[in-house]
Amino acid sequence: MNKKNLIKQLELTFSDNEVNTFEENVIKIYAKKEQVKTILRYLKDNGYNHLALISCVDWIKEKEFELIYILTSYNDNNETYKETGYIYLKTKISRDNPEIGTVINVFENAEPYEREIHELFGVKFSGHPRLIPLFLERDYEVPPFRKNFDTRKYVKDVFESIPVIPEEEE
Amino acid sequence: MREVELYFGPQHLGMVGNFSITLNVEGDKILKATADPGFLHRGFEKLMEYRTWMQNFPLVCRINVVEPDHMEMVYAMGVEKLANIEVPERAEWIRSIYLELARVGSHLFGLWAYSNMLGFDTVAQWAMYHRDLILDLFEELTGGRVYHIYIWPGGVRRDFPEGFTNKIVETLHSIGKCVPDYNDIFFNNPLFYERTHGIGKITREEAEKWGGVGQVLRATGKSFDIRKVEPYAAYDKVDFEIPTREEGDAYSRIMVIRDEMIESVHLIFKLIEGLPEGEVYNKVPNPFKWKIGEGESYVRVESSRGELGLYLVSDGGDKPYRAHFRTPSYSHGLTILEKVLEGANISDVGNIMISMYVVAPEIDR
Repeated sequence: MNKKNLIKQLELTFSDNEVNTFEENVIKIYAKKEQVKTILRYLKDNGYNHLALISCVDWIKEKEFELIYILTSYNDNNETYKETGYIYLKTKISRDNPEIGTVINVFENAEPYEREIHELFGVKFSGHPRLIPLFLERDYEVPPFRKNFDTRKYVKDVFESIPVIPEEEE
Repeated sequence: MREVELYFGPQHLGMVGNFSITLNVEGDKILKATADPGFLHRGFEKLMEYRTWMQNFPLVCRINVVEPDHMEMVYAMGVEKLANIEVPERAEWIRSIYLELARVGSHLFGLWAYSNMLGFDTVAQWAMYHRDLILDLFEELTGGRVYHIYIWPGGVRRDFPEGFTNKIVETLHSIGKCVPDYNDIFFNNPLFYERTHGIGKITREEAEKWGGVGQVLRATGKSFDIRKVEPYAAYDKVDFEIPTREEGDAYSRIMVIRDEMIESVHLIFKLIEGLPEGEVYNKVPNPFKWKIGEGESYVRVESSRGELGLYLVSDGGDKPYRAHFRTPSYSHGLTILEKVLEGANISDVGNIMISMYVVAPEIDR
């Protein structure tokens, strides 16, 4: 399917989401969080079969998290590749109760990305089989990658309280 | 037989790097593998939010210890895309030469790790020595051996010194002379074939389903390479091949790496031949006052391990609002490794892991 048709189809099929093109090779889709999985499955069936990245941005002023799914294709032909390009699928979720459905049964490699975002931003992925810690070993009151996490205060609190053996007086 | 939980790494003898896998084993057969990263988590992406665009370069190149140059490149590309900075023609070619040298060095390092793990100590020493020759080149060019910070937004830090291209050619010839020796003692060695053939096999469909890139994908017959698919620097101006194999096992992955090294050397010769004259640096604004307009970008390069991407967001300030690296080892080490290890033998864990080129610092970031 070429790109113009795809954009038209997307607008028709998922009419309550906003589809936007930006630059020549990026399609941006602003989706509602309930529809992320359906749209991802639709895109995967239409050639965007490589989930490159799931990322999360903390927009603290708007009190929202923005999740970004970046899709490309495994197409190794340079000419047709220019036609497909990238898709940024974006969705916003509230910062107070961040929760979204998992997409593991669409893209299996989403599993560690979702675990990472759960750990670093505190976003809950409902339906994820193991939301266990990935990198961190301590418990944090505020997940460390949120913008309101104060790194200096954290270092002061944690590392100054570590017991130090006093030097012997000579 | 009783099921036992075995902690393979980070202190296990068979583990290379700061990585851990929890294995559920019965006898010497693995029932379930759980990757457990995090020993090298330094929170670089968070630290980058506190530093200006230019101050981030020393951080970025430390994310992956083995190949800092591709990290510099992807970050410079991300900043250039956000700030709309043009790069002069000569700088693009120099970047390509530099990145290919880094690829050869990184593959030699990988060869060291792999042959060391298989017990081919002689090959390991040779590979380390030859990598050192490439590090000497980098030292002459940039002053640093491992971390160079040579690529900047707008070009490269300085031009090649006089006679430097000849030195590159000489060094690569002296390494190339040893390729028959490498073949005799390692790549064509029946012991190596027996040890790697059919180990850690995945099909092309599985590799695509689990997000495989780089050698993992190319060893299954798919010639997916960002340098060809979405050319950056000067890769669209010279002709080169992408080596592939069909079997998808550890043997074919290592052979792809060998072929890639040779192809990279040929590519460097072609790049040096066509190297144009001109400026190597476009001036960027004062780094202390440099603000980049609102926007986001996803850029990617082909590092020696596969697709390396960077998602960069700016809110109009003098620091990145969010940076997120998509590293090739991430899906290789956390998704594919777990699946491939199921049903494998304990003695093959290190073999499978290093043949997929999993590097821990790249996963943890």
